[in-house]
Amino acid sequence: MTDESATIERDLAAVETALASGAATHEEPLARELQELALQLRADAPRPEPAFAEELHGRMEAGFPSTAGSARARAEAARARQQTALKRLSAPRGGRRFARSYLLPIAGVGVPLALIVGVIFAAGGPSGPSGGDDDAGGGGGASEQAAGGSGGRGEQTKGETLSALPRESARAGDKAAAAPDTAVVPLEPVPRDGNFAPGQANRKIERSFSLELDVPLDDMARVADQVTAVTNRHGGFVLSSSVNSGREGGGGDFSLRIPSDRLRPALRDLAELAPVIRQSQEGRDVTRQHVTAKDRLQAARAERRSLLRRLEEAATDQEAEAIRQQLDLVAGEINGLRAQLRDLRLRTDYAVVNVSLLVAGDHDDNGGVGGSFDDALDDAGGLLVGFAGVLIRIMALAVPLALVALAAWLGTRGLRRRRRESALA
Amino acid sequence: MPVATGTDTETFAALYERTFPRVYAYVASLLRDRSAAEDVTAQAFERAYRRRATYRTRRGSHEAWLFGIARNAALDELRRRKRRARLEAEPEDTGALGADDHADLALRREAVRAAMTGLDGRERDLIALKFSAGLSNSEIAKVLDVSETAVGTRLHRILTKLRKACND
Repeated sequence: MTDESATIERDLAAVETALASGAATHEEPLARELQELALQLRADAPRPEPAFAEELHGRMEAGFPSTAGSARARAEAARARQQTALKRLSAPRGGRRFARSYLLPIAGVGVPLALIVGVIFAAGGPSGPSGGDDDAGGGGGASEQAAGGSGGRGEQTKGETLSALPRESARAGDKAAAAPDTAVVPLEPVPRDGNFAPGQANRKIERSFSLELDVPLDDMARVADQVTAVTNRHGGFVLSSSVNSGREGGGGDFSLRIPSDRLRPALRDLAELAPVIRQSQEGRDVTRQHVTAKDRLQAARAERRSLLRRLEEAATDQEAEAIRQQLDLVAGEINGLRAQLRDLRLRTDYAVVNVSLLVAGDHDDNGGVGGSFDDALDDAGGLLVGFAGVLIRIMALAVPLALVALAAWLGTRGLRRRRRESALA
Repeated sequence: MPVATGTDTETFAALYERTFPRVYAYVASLLRDRSAAEDVTAQAFERAYRRRATYRTRRGSHEAWLFGIARNAALDELRRRKRRARLEAEPEDTGALGADDHADLALRREAVRAAMTGLDGRERDLIALKFSAGLSNSEIAKVLDVSETAVGTRLHRILTKLRKACND
């Protein structure tokens, strides 16, 4: 503690002592002077006139009644009339107190929250765990467009439709009638080239789709045959397949290649075979690889033509041999590039469609009523995630609003205080 | 007429009885106008009476709360009536010397009053809260919304200034 603060403390203590005892008795002359000053200041305090004291005391005892005709008196009369009317309408006193204590604050918080939630839903609704999947194709398209805009890089996009929100499509619904516990999802539209990259029809898109069909065990063989038939009908082929329709458990997996231009009807026909319980789609832009390979092939061909001309004009055997060796190298490169282009064309001309046949009731993604404990747990988790999503959106609006309101309140309070204090400046 | 509910309950009448002379003294010290001081004192008690249900212990003691209301009312009055010039003017004689007053006491009193004219509004406010209102430093801190240490330091500085002015 510094000497100055020690002096301040000593002097303040001396002043407090003098005010308490009414006498200036400190041994230090300076402190004693401050004591005397404090006593003098207190003794010099103004005193109220007895008449005023009596009048104010009377008003205080009467509960500070308003002067007749004053603004306050008029306001009080209006308030009294309101309260009388409320008394007639409302419940007993406890109910009013409850309403004042709880309902009003709840309404004060609830109404703005309801408004915020309304605004969120009106603006498109919260996207829960599956909410963003509704526009899977469109989302993929946007990403593809972005990839195209940056020079056609080989970007991978993925859109997946999960069965977290079971809905019945018109066609699949008929099938679902046979298996009422099965949740089905509508088949998402297949994006055309233009959807993946609007305005750029020459884009090369490699696509793959996955479908999971809900098939009764007894119907497994028939549906498996129909999968092959649909594939053939649309000009595609079955790359691999495995079907098991035994009593101990069944299922099937197909890897199909279907021409891209026939993809939409083919998928529609596949979806008609059995209720779709899950589907996903993926798109990959390979335009850049295609263009690069094509350019390199052109360059290689031009080089070969040049080498052939040089070979015709070769003067010596050694020179001709060297050119032939170069020609061999260029020919190898041309063959490789051709194969690469063929492969790319095959991948973009034919979409990969993986079809899984699941036995009705064996899979646990239906989310239906009466599922297992795991189903209930999954549903509860999904609900919680959805709720948290809504809550985060509400907070995203409410927190900034609350901060702005707080800042405004603090600012107003500070401003009012400063204006008041300015009277002392 | 309880001021607050709970364990800190005190009737408004008791608070009034305990604080009335000091509220008046504080307001009169600030306004330097007996008539205005009476109006503002009555107004302050009336406001406090009507707002007694809003008192919360976190705002400090009953007295700090009441003097906060009185201070606001006085400052509003000062602003309204633009009494700045009056504040800086010679303080009103708030009490005549009695026949038995000693001459040196009278001289001392005049010296203190003269020294008070050298204080600005904020300093005068603090002196009034301490010696006219009789508040403790912690209560003053609540009223002014500053720390208790700041109140002590400012008070010491003002007292030292007054002491020097009295001795000059």
